Amino acid sequence: MIKITDLEKIYRTEEVETVALNKLSLEVKEGEFVAIMGPSGCGKSTLLNIVGLLDDPDSGSFKFNGIEVAKFNERKRADLRKRNIGFVFQSFNLIDELTVFENVELPLIYTGVKSSERKKRVEEVLDKMQIMHRRNHYPQQLSGGQQQRVAVARAVVNRPKLILADEPTGNLDSHNGNEVMQLLTDLNEQGTTIVMVTHSEHDARYSHRIVRMLDGQTVLENIMV
Amino acid sequence: MIRNFFKIALRNLLRNKAFSFINISGLAIGMAATTLIILWIQNEVSYDQFHEKKDRIYEAWNRAVFSGKLQCWNTTPKILARTTEKDVPEVERAVRVNWPSNFLFSVGEKRLTVTGNIVDTGFLQVFSFPLLKGDPKTALNNGSPILLTETLAKKLFADDNAMGKVIKIDNKDNFTVTGILKDLPNNTRFKFEYLLPWQYLSKRGEDDSTWGNNSTRTYVLLKQNASFASANSKIKGTKVKYDKDEDPKWEMFLYPISRWRLYSNFTNGKEDGGLIEFVRLFAIIAAFILLIACINFMNLTTARSEKRAKEVGIRKCVGAQKRSLVVQFIGESILLAFIGGLIAIFILYISLPPFGELTDKKLFIDYANPIFWLLGLGFIILTGVIAGSYPAFFLSSFNPSTVLKGTFKAANALITPRKLLVVLQFTFAIILIICTSIVKQQIDHAQGRQTGYAKDNLVYHHLTGDLEKNYQLVKNELLSSGVAKAVTKTGSPLTQGWSDSWGFEWQGKDPNDKTDFDRFCADENLGNTAGLTFVKGRDFDLKSFPTDSSGVILNESAAKAMNLKDPIGQIVKDDHVEYHVVGIIKDFILQSPYYPTKPMIIEGAKANWFNIIHFKLNGANSTADNLKKAEAIFKKYNPQYPFEYNFVDEEYAQKFKSEKRTGTLAALFAALTIFISCLGLFGLATYMAENRVKEIGVRKALGASVTGITALLSKDFLKLVMISFLVACPIAWWMMHEWLQKYPYRVSIQWSVFVFAGCLSFLISLFTVSYQSIKAAIVSPVKSLRTE
Repeated sequence: MIKITDLEKIYRTEEVETVALNKLSLEVKEGEFVAIMGPSGCGKSTLLNIVGLLDDPDSGSFKFNGIEVAKFNERKRADLRKRNIGFVFQSFNLIDELTVFENVELPLIYTGVKSSERKKRVEEVLDKMQIMHRRNHYPQQLSGGQQQRVAVARAVVNRPKLILADEPTGNLDSHNGNEVMQLLTDLNEQGTTIVMVTHSEHDARYSHRIVRMLDGQTVLENIMV
Repeated sequence: MIRNFFKIALRNLLRNKAFSFINISGLAIGMAATTLIILWIQNEVSYDQFHEKKDRIYEAWNRAVFSGKLQCWNTTPKILARTTEKDVPEVERAVRVNWPSNFLFSVGEKRLTVTGNIVDTGFLQVFSFPLLKGDPKTALNNGSPILLTETLAKKLFADDNAMGKVIKIDNKDNFTVTGILKDLPNNTRFKFEYLLPWQYLSKRGEDDSTWGNNSTRTYVLLKQNASFASANSKIKGTKVKYDKDEDPKWEMFLYPISRWRLYSNFTNGKEDGGLIEFVRLFAIIAAFILLIACINFMNLTTARSEKRAKEVGIRKCVGAQKRSLVVQFIGESILLAFIGGLIAIFILYISLPPFGELTDKKLFIDYANPIFWLLGLGFIILTGVIAGSYPAFFLSSFNPSTVLKGTFKAANALITPRKLLVVLQFTFAIILIICTSIVKQQIDHAQGRQTGYAKDNLVYHHLTGDLEKNYQLVKNELLSSGVAKAVTKTGSPLTQGWSDSWGFEWQGKDPNDKTDFDRFCADENLGNTAGLTFVKGRDFDLKSFPTDSSGVILNESAAKAMNLKDPIGQIVKDDHVEYHVVGIIKDFILQSPYYPTKPMIIEGAKANWFNIIHFKLNGANSTADNLKKAEAIFKKYNPQYPFEYNFVDEEYAQKFKSEKRTGTLAALFAALTIFISCLGLFGLATYMAENRVKEIGVRKALGASVTGITALLSKDFLKLVMISFLVACPIAWWMMHEWLQKYPYRVSIQWSVFVFAGCLSFLISLFTVSYQSIKAAIVSPVKSLRTE
């Protein structure tokens, strides 16, 4: 599903040049659950942003489902993203001015799903995440665990092929963290490919494969049994 | 999707009440002020554009050299109209409109002094002033017809049908109402309440067919498809053709109706601006006021960008494209503009009458007209788009990968668009403050100028009805009853010049000398009544010197212009009538207080064109008492006419009306601009204080004082105001320097004005910003650091 070859990304300011990705290559097959680990600043999040089509690489190749997307313009990337990728963030990133229902509904609006269908699908996913009873609440009125479940619900409502999770349990206690990991595992078992950046060895154990990074390169891969 | 946008916009609006209030009120005031100015502009540019034949209507003008300058003016000989119809085949009709006349209208016991025009019968065939009753083609043709406006008809005849009724004019001439005119619109140069036929002027002995008397306006209607150029070339030499004595270079020309109102200033024989300059200036001011309100929205929205950045990131993550985000943010600003627009309509409703009074116009909005609402909606959308465009592109360009990390901080560069916009706002505000101050100084300067006569307690009255006949009796009784200290009769009021001439002759005059003299006349005691200062000779005194009836008094400028070494006793001829000089007075201001006084010749009683009685009230009595007694005396000798007096000092004050209006408008616009700009500054200061909570806490923990922190927080804004001041000064200086050029008697621009404007804007902005700065500075560091 994802085939990255010799990917480079360099951040430049007036004084400093930081190599975030240094000729990195990586492949993720459909249905895989891959955890990416490494110390802070090793390029994990940059990689995730590029895979999520939120950022573009400076050089190298990135094929998504066999199509070269590294040079896609903003419009094409947005189009590909909304149909194929869901995001889960460490800080949840829900829109404070929208209710739980409206937050989850948002991706469906951008893919042009009809109102009645949207309602059905949002309710379905809220039910599955067991937060249906909070549907009219605003994010600030929920606990961290509940907020992350809403974020997961938002990530999956569009039935994406790929979910990108950036330290999804980073802001949660262990109980809520485990619940979220279980949700991701369930989704993966139902066929969704998952790429997760994490610092937690515990969370990484939920994955099929751990990719370890250092200084913008993959240095080691552990296959989980 | 629209519903989602709308929902989030509304929730944002309610959640950030201060932000919404500042933006909505700024936009409302900006839109209301702009609409007021647009209404004024619309009124100006539509002047006399409603006449159906406007494309064929022209006014006859003259162009000739006087006092060494090529001058243009629009009064013509009365005979020109008929001559033009005869000589120029392109002309379909030429009509004359005489100066407005005030006549006493009597209907039964009802008496009114009414202003109107005596016109040629074809007037209504040239100009489109619709008749509610009567036939415009024939209404002025036969018998003794008179046309009244609807309002005047109601005043005179209440609800009775006025048609066919008889009105007595000036107690002697009967006229029959043959038509009722629809009241005149507010955008025409004509200001009549009645129209009388030209024959009446002849009957009054005021018509003439000489080419030397430029005393009326002549309007020309060209035939359909006739060539203007051809007609213009034929009328060019008319004056010279019929007036052999005149300068062969004297030209006449046709001036189109589309340029009468806005372009009719002429310099050296060429069009040189006019009201159009004000229209352009007002348009610029309107655009700036709206822009300043929009800038508030731009600045506050971008200042708050950190708060909206996350939303942008999320929306992009779930598939939003930049375009849809731009649409969303512009939509939000249109929503705000819409709410602002509704409030603006309310402000307009309240402020239109006082604004109309201020600008001396009857402005109105036709709320029942769907066009108004359509234009209003368009205006609101335009405002929303202007205000929302920059923030929309700014916000929608955020990179989701940066903003979603939660570490996003908006840039705080040395020069940001936000700082530039604040500088733009304050530059404009400071320019207006400087302009207001200089306009005020110029008015004060002119008001403080010595008029050359004593205005206080000086009253004048027109010699209406029997007053001229009974003048001596009235004068004697005014003096004997102690009402007046001195009385004189004159040709025109002391505040108005009604006559001038370049035809005076004296010994030693250069035959090519075309110096134009103001012509005035008085019987006697003018010096006493008006408090004039004689530098040589004496006042007219008919009792002691009966020959003073053929005397003249010159002002110093006239004596100088005539180059008379020993002026007393010298002969001055006016149209071959001889006068001898009896006195020289110091110049006094007859016309504009902004211009040098002109040479002036005051002719004695022999001139005999008296229209006015001036009398100096006795200061020993109360004014009310004096006027009451004076009224009784006037009524006794002129019972048919109302006692309509004028105070000379009040009328003199009218000379400053136009400049005062300019000053008041400039002050109003300056105040509005400052207010809207400060609203924005206040909003920015609020967000600045919020964003720097942690910094303030740390500084205080390290020992900074409240004053120190207030200064630190205010400094950045005050720096911007300072830059604005530096930009504004040269622009304002240049603008005012140009404006003052039109006043020969003018104030010089003082540096203190700039200091004043600088200090004022500095203090106002300090006051605006310091509230938030002090508020932030006095918070306990424990509290501010806890927010981490």
